[in-house]
Amino acid sequence: MAILEVHNIEKHFGATRVLEDISFSLEKGQALAIIGSSGSGKTTLLRCLNFLETPNHGSISVNGNVIFDANDPITQRESEVRKKRLHFGLVFQSFNLFPQYTALKNVTLAKELLSQELPEYKQNKKAILEEIQAEGRELLKKMGLSDRADHYPSQLSGGQQQRVAIARALALKPDILCFDEPTSALDPELTGEVLKVIRGLAEQKTTMIIVTHEMAFARDVADEVIFMDGGVIVEKGPARQVIEHPQEERTRQFLSRYAEN
Amino acid sequence: MEFFTSDTFRTVLTALNTGFLKTLQLFFITLLGALPLGLIISFGSMSRFTPLRWLTRTVVWVIRGTPLVLQIIALFYVPGMQKWFNWPSGESGRMLAVCVAFVINYACYFSEIYRGGIQGVPKGQQEAGLVLGMTKLQIFRHITLLQMIKRIVPPMSNEIITLVKDTSLARVIALQEVIWMGESFMKGNSGIAGLTWPLFFTAVYYLVFSGIVTMLLGKLERKLSFFQ
Amino acid sequence: MKKFLSLALALTMCASLAACSNGASSSGNTSGSESTSGSGAGSSSQAESDMQYVKDKGTLVVGITNFEPMDYQDADGNWIGFDADMAKAFAESLGVKVEFQEINWDYKVMELNAKNIDCVWNGMTINDEVKAAMSVSDPYCLNAQVLVVPADKADQFQSVEDLEGLTVAVESGSAGEDAAEALGLTTVPVQKQSDTLMEVSAGTSDAAVIDLLMAGAMIGEGTSYADLTYTLNLNEAQGLESEEYGVGFRQGSDLTEAYNEFWASAVADGSALETANTYGVQESVILE
Repeated sequence: MAILEVHNIEKHFGATRVLEDISFSLEKGQALAIIGSSGSGKTTLLRCLNFLETPNHGSISVNGNVIFDANDPITQRESEVRKKRLHFGLVFQSFNLFPQYTALKNVTLAKELLSQELPEYKQNKKAILEEIQAEGRELLKKMGLSDRADHYPSQLSGGQQQRVAIARALALKPDILCFDEPTSALDPELTGEVLKVIRGLAEQKTTMIIVTHEMAFARDVADEVIFMDGGVIVEKGPARQVIEHPQEERTRQFLSRYAEN
Repeated sequence: MEFFTSDTFRTVLTALNTGFLKTLQLFFITLLGALPLGLIISFGSMSRFTPLRWLTRTVVWVIRGTPLVLQIIALFYVPGMQKWFNWPSGESGRMLAVCVAFVINYACYFSEIYRGGIQGVPKGQQEAGLVLGMTKLQIFRHITLLQMIKRIVPPMSNEIITLVKDTSLARVIALQEVIWMGESFMKGNSGIAGLTWPLFFTAVYYLVFSGIVTMLLGKLERKLSFFQ
Repeated sequence: MKKFLSLALALTMCASLAACSNGASSSGNTSGSESTSGSGAGSSSQAESDMQYVKDKGTLVVGITNFEPMDYQDADGNWIGFDADMAKAFAESLGVKVEFQEINWDYKVMELNAKNIDCVWNGMTINDEVKAAMSVSDPYCLNAQVLVVPADKADQFQSVEDLEGLTVAVESGSAGEDAAEALGLTTVPVQKQSDTLMEVSAGTSDAAVIDLLMAGAMIGEGTSYADLTYTLNLNEAQGLESEEYGVGFRQGSDLTEAYNEFWASAVADGSALETANTYGVQESVILE
């Protein structure tokens, strides 16, 4: 059974249709890359999955449970949405680290706040917080940032900040980790370290959706690729096939423009 | 030198100290009341509920658009003239009325600073909190608040220094703050009349106090400079 | 909660704005009915007896400014002076406590109407404006306006003719302003009588016109204005009547009549003169 099923998602801002009839599914442990020019709707799609935008139509299921249905207001209640969000993690293009917290605290803050809702929090406060700390340090270590745990974001390079952001998203152990153009805001020489981390996650069979402009990366890391244009899915298939042998004319045009650059 | 040990100097200083205590009282009560009230008003002025937003912004416009001295006079005299209620008799009633006027006035100024501070925090910060499963309250408390405070400290410092000096407006309804006391020796007070220097001497009080306030706010600003 | 609070705040503000417009119209009404209340003191309308109101609360609040020798503080901070002592005696005759409240002189009428004070008792010169806004007692003291000039120029200003072309500082709305304007002088209206002295001292005005009583206390040796002196008594020089001081009560108040009776008896038993002697104003007090 697919871990994620998206059915007929539609989103419009006023009269502008940003997403039209988007449907796809994702298997556990797979990586999906979404490519397309800017304005094609791929970022909006990610934001819909993370409940930052509410689709006007369609439904989203995780592990077979409908977590969003445009026709069912009960699924859109704020208190419900907060929990359902945790199925997804999101890494932003511009990192959005919390500037007033150290790298470690950025990673642990959300988990600490969530743990306050645990019934045993009061008795075991110290142990719980220590465990969260340890997990946070472990995550930073995996990102190659052990020595940066106590640095503030402004003291870190862009690549380091984005790796902290990835650790922060992983801390809540989401079912599906989403990346929104994770290297677009980075200087070219810093993209490598971030892509390497994502590649490592793919090798550990982390379920991922990656919106990216790095075609070679998408081809090598993703299992599937979706090409979007004008708010619709134009082409969808195994990564190597879509990028090296696209079936659709619009995909070919898009990729050839990339090749020129 | 003899002058500074004279009875006159001591009498004047005692009177000015008494006045300055009132100035300080007004200053701190205004801060204590206006800082939280301003935040509440700023939420009103950012509310998604249009009538509330409209109403709040109108109030802020009226308060900021009219002189504080007029608000003090209106707040103190109109209720009695209209037979709604009387302020408590004596100096305490005047202090109360002035405090209410100052708290409302400064809360409106502060609310605009808060609004700028809150809206100045990038939207991505809130979104990052949301996708991490935080509630709106948690996001405000743990993410937005400190970033907002860092943003508002410089403009807030300006307002607070202005407040130090604005307290002198309270003498319009005969609250005997430090300038009132300074002026009293021109006309006659404690058997001393025709002295002008006490009035100008009050400047020393204001300078020293605003110096201290500036220093403390500067300290706060430096304390918040650990992040950007 | 925050919605409720900001709503409440807004309503308060609207209400007080509405009040301001009401205030304007109702003060228009009271000045219209002033002619009936000026002398009669409304003794028949006991339903709203001001005296009863004061007796009920047990305190007579006397609106004053720091004005030697009428109202000023002794070394212990107690209010003394000719007016202050008479006010204490008057309160005693009513069987109530006395409370002195310093006010901003510009707002004396509002202070009365808002019931923050019960009377204005501070060497108040009786003029048309005062009579229009308050119920004023019989006069109890005489005063004159004098010309204040730098001491070294005093000999240049000994008659009304010498004043031509002078710029004179006066307290805005004071009897001194009226006197200076009657002479056709160019006036500089300032906030307080004491401010007029600063004008002369700083040379920004040639002279000032203030109360004789005040000039006595504020200029000359031992003050910041040792180099100032007063020359002309404008009332005498113009052959005008002297000014009279009165006590101001709320319009229609029955306290005015009570005060008049109190004053008559204080004159009769000699206590008024005795108090006047204490403060050196025996020349000015009206003992008839």
